[in-house]
Amino acid sequence: MEYVLRASGLVKDYKRTRAVDGIDIEVLKGERVGLLGPNGAGKTTTLMMLLGAILPEEGSIEICGHRLPGGRSEGMQLVGFSAGYMPLAERLRVSEFLRMYGELYGVVDVEARMQAGLERFRIPQLAEAMGTQLSSGQRTLVGIVKATLHRPRLLVLDEPTASLDPDVALRVRMGLQDLCQSEGTALLITSHNMVEIERLCERVIFLSRGRVIANDAPRAIASQFESDDLEGVFLHLAQIGSDQPERAERGAQETDHSA
Amino acid sequence: MSELRETNPRKLSWMRIRSIARRHYYVMLRSPHRLFDVTIWPLVDVVLFGSIGSFIAANESAGARAFGYLLGGVVLWHIIYQAQIALSTGFLEETWSRNLLNIMITPVKEWEYVAGTALFGLVKLILGTGLVAVTALLLFSFDVTDLGLGLIPIGAILLTVGWLIALFVVGFVLRFGSGAEALAWGIMFVVMPLSGVFYPVDALPDVIRPLALVLPTTYAFEAMRTLLDGEGLDWGAIGIATASTLVLTLGALLFLTRMLRVFRARGFISRYS
Repeated sequence: MEYVLRASGLVKDYKRTRAVDGIDIEVLKGERVGLLGPNGAGKTTTLMMLLGAILPEEGSIEICGHRLPGGRSEGMQLVGFSAGYMPLAERLRVSEFLRMYGELYGVVDVEARMQAGLERFRIPQLAEAMGTQLSSGQRTLVGIVKATLHRPRLLVLDEPTASLDPDVALRVRMGLQDLCQSEGTALLITSHNMVEIERLCERVIFLSRGRVIANDAPRAIASQFESDDLEGVFLHLAQIGSDQPERAERGAQETDHSA
Repeated sequence: MSELRETNPRKLSWMRIRSIARRHYYVMLRSPHRLFDVTIWPLVDVVLFGSIGSFIAANESAGARAFGYLLGGVVLWHIIYQAQIALSTGFLEETWSRNLLNIMITPVKEWEYVAGTALFGLVKLILGTGLVAVTALLLFSFDVTDLGLGLIPIGAILLTVGWLIALFVVGFVLRFGSGAEALAWGIMFVVMPLSGVFYPVDALPDVIRPLALVLPTTYAFEAMRTLLDGEGLDWGAIGIATASTLVLTLGALLFLTRMLRVFRARGFISRYS
């Protein structure tokens, strides 16, 4: 088995709060994995550690065989990242923005990759638009094109479809599926849209209070929690987490042991 | 994969540096107010100090020397000022446009980012300092090139110190966030009087003078004055300036590395995402 991402024992503390508490994550080549959990579960902190933007207190991270933080530059060469909340750099046209990032990743034929990426997500008409003129949906699509210009082996997306219209969200999903199939890119994605994750991902990792509490196929996780779908699991965890934090923690430990 | 990406490490680094420099070029092109640093301020400085110099020259016996000191000082000051402000504000631009996370998760190495920003800073420096020099020539008949080849080591020291001060500013912004942004401009108002840009450091109050004597810029401007006085290049002053610049380089690199580590360890990226 070829792993594009192997992280084990990740721990991150912010002052007196433990945001991430011993998380293990592995993603295989070409695999599509969803990272889910209620607000404050540690998803974004985990992603930031995997991308080298935040240093963990404990644990190790390996991207395509490059261990962080020493191998950050080499590892990031093979990773693409985009988030629904990230703006485009101001005062740049879309084509300038994409060219800049293509070159930062060392892409030789940036123009061709840029064109292919814009067409994949059906936005070639935006090439000469200023970043500030784009809607949030268009910005998201451009952000994903940026993240895939260099044909990454692992694409990390944080809330890519947050606040998007359903038709644009569908376009994102279809574009991502096409990308993963045609280029063998692995996907690690967070989202609050459970239906989207069920359709897109082969495997789901559920986080709660900084710990992995489930790691399986979407249907298997739903049945593990005696729910019809992932949304039921999510609501169940969010409810326990807010009402009885200690029970959620106990539940997590039990799930860990049984896994 | 080898067809898609550049594999030669040197070409790859150059590609990234060039890309960062081009990004800052676009920013300047579309933010006319940023041109203030390389147009309005240089003009104001040269007119202000040139006029003071003219006044002194007409009224005091030592006025001719003071005239040269003021105009030479203001022209060379813009080397350090433009180098510092271009690198500092180049980095601040990433924080203002919330682009820092985008940059940090690319393969770009820290030195490549600094090199790209400094490379574009050189363009701004040439514009700003060139404008000061030409204005001094046109309005006050002061030709800075009369100083000769001695300008090269003095300019190199001032350029390097400007970049090093900017690295300290970047380090403070990484550690303390937007509250430290004022340093990008404010720190130069501290360095300027201490460096004796327009006067020998003997003119400084006794209590402040020790501070001036540890700055490389003090010796660079001292060397400029010996050139203006027609005494040739003061290699002793250049030697001390070079040695203290090396010490400052070490300090700036250690400080920035430490602040970057704190930035990553404490998750300060969340301030900009």
